[in-house]
This record gives sequence, C-alpha cells and structure tokens, in this order.
Amino acid sequence: MFNHFISIEIKKMKISKKIIDNLKKGGVDFYLSVPCKLLANMIDILEKDKDVYYSAVPREEEGMGICAGAYLGNKFPCIMMQNTGIGNSVNAIVSLLQLYQMPVVFLISYRGTPGEPVGAQGGMAKITEDILQTLRIPILHCSSENDLEKISTFSKHAKVVESPVAILCDFNLMKDDK
Amino acid sequence: MNRFDLLNKIQNILKDNLVICNIGLPSQELYKINDQPNFFYMLGSMGLSSSIGLGLSLSQTKQVISIDGDGSVLMNMNTLATIGNRAPSNYTLLIIDNGSYGSTGDQRTFTDENTSLKDVALGAGCKKVIECSGEETLNELSKAIEDKNNSYVIISKINSGNVKIDPIPLNPITIRDRFRKFIGIVKYL
Repeated sequence: MFNHFISIEIKKMKISKKIIDNLKKGGVDFYLSVPCKLLANMIDILEKDKDVYYSAVPREEEGMGICAGAYLGNKFPCIMMQNTGIGNSVNAIVSLLQLYQMPVVFLISYRGTPGEPVGAQGGMAKITEDILQTLRIPILHCSSENDLEKISTFSKHAKVVESPVAILCDFNLMKDDK
Repeated sequence: MNRFDLLNKIQNILKDNLVICNIGLPSQELYKINDQPNFFYMLGSMGLSSSIGLGLSLSQTKQVISIDGDGSVLMNMNTLATIGNRAPSNYTLLIIDNGSYGSTGDQRTFTDENTSLKDVALGAGCKKVIECSGEETLNELSKAIEDKNNSYVIISKINSGNVKIDPIPLNPITIRDRFRKFIGIVKYL
C-alpha cells in the first residue's frame, strides 16, 4: 500500500518538475508568473523552492520590466505565462529586452493547441508563433516529454546570444500533469 | 520648481545609488545635468521604470532609486501592487508628479484631475508613501535612503515644464554594460 502511494507521488507533477529542473540546470534563478492552470504545478514547486526567487506578478508587460532589472542585478530570469501574455508584452520585449540585449526565458503554456477545451483560446494560439518569429525570438516547442530535456541547453543559449527565448509547452503535454 | 530643477537638487543623492530613469525628458535632463555610469537611462518601454528598479532591488543589495513620472505610473499602475507586496528595503520609487505628459507636449494627466497616486499606492499595499513638494523632496529622499528597514514611494508634486534638450547619445549596450560594471558584474570594460 505504502509503496503504491509513493509511486503515485513521484509520478505526480512529473512534467512540471522536469521543466523546473531543466530551467535550474540552465542557470535560471529568478522566476515570475502570471498564472495559468497549466502552470499551477510549477508555481507550487517554485513557491517551496528556497534556492531561487519566485513571485507572482499581475501583468506580463510589468514582468518583462522586473526581469530586465533582475538581469541588470546579475540574475537569470524566467517569466511563466500563457501565450496571451506575449500579446500583452510586445513593446516591452522589443524596446527593453531586445534593445538592451537582455537574456530572459519565456516559459509559455500554449493555450489553444489541440486538447484545449476553450474555443476562445484558439485566436492567440493561431498567431503566437508568428508573433515570436516576427520578433526574431528563438523558439523551443515542447510537445512530448522528451522535448523537455532540451530546456537547459536552450536556456543557456539565451545567455550566449543575449536575447529573450521562448519555450512553448503544448496543452496536451501539460494537461495530465496532476 | 520643474523636473529639471528637482533633478538638479537631488544630484548628491542620485550619484551614490543605482538609478533607473524614466524614458524621454527625465533621462535626457538627468544625462545633461550629470551623466554617471550608475544611471540606467530608459530608451523605450514607457511605464516600466518602477518595475525595472524593483527587479534590480530584488537581485542585489545596493540601494535602488526608480525615477518615474505620473503619466508612466498611470500606464503601469499594477506594478504598485507588486511593489506593495514584494519591494525590499533597498528600493525607493520617486514619482515626479507634474500632472502632465512632459515628453509629449505637456498634455494633462489624470493626477491633474481626480487621481491621487498617494492613495493608489497606499491602496496597493505600499506602507511608506510620502507626498511632498519639490522643495521637500531632497530631505524625504535622503531619509528614505537612510532607512534600511523599509522601502518607500515618494510622490514629488512639482510644476510642469521642460528645458530644451537633445536625445541621449549613448547606445543601449553602453548604458547596460557600464551600469553592470558599476555593480561589479561586467569586468571587461
């Protein structure tokens, strides 16, 4: 009985744990989030993690500003948000993070991808990658668990090229991570 | 007293601290008065001075002063809630409130009508919120910097009006790297 319970516990939040472990392995030590139900487990993990800074923020654009300041102060920041947050942040990305060449990891729950029950999320989903490509932001698209192994190298790449980078996590990858 | 007079008057405090300065005329005036490597001039992203300073104060221990304006704070008012809940004691937000959008031709802002940024900041959870005249600002700012136990929001009520001035000639990477060198992060300059 007890062993069975443990194995369920370990399986619990496997995807979220893997994402955070790989971000930390990539050097990310400062985290902000604007919530999404697909990010909820990662927020739980970060709230308990004493090795890194974590806070919620009310709006993504503001988060870009806080990340810029954290970078100036020698942190490697990540902002977690829905893909809708990219729409809220375009000017801050271009006129702050890219203008001053600041590495920031965007960890994005890709709402509106297959599996999504809310039809209205489809609008931003259709244009999310177009916006990121127009902004010339490198993209890591994670649709299976194996893709998550690439997160640490991809995060380090942000520092090398002094640029924001975007990690897109598909709805179906995240939805069962309970 | 206008913004240029105020920035002149508080130079002695600014020069010893990390300063994030708002886009447009505030940065251009600060640059003209006394350019320093510990001044981070914003060249874009109106509204984010207060947020950039917050991130900086959370990441290292030196005192940080964010110089913001009433128009810019009105654009990113949610950050007052983040400041009210998360600002460490090495953070001071100086809002230069002249009731107008100075960089775009002195159009009136809502602080010249019904809006009180002091009330907004208090409602957002900021504990030490000081509203003062331009003349009182130097004193209030030095008290805020000396207090090692609290963060502050200072709203300096001044007159609108600008001096004629050129854009900042520094490129963004120069601003970034000499600022980070001052903190001790960049070694190669």
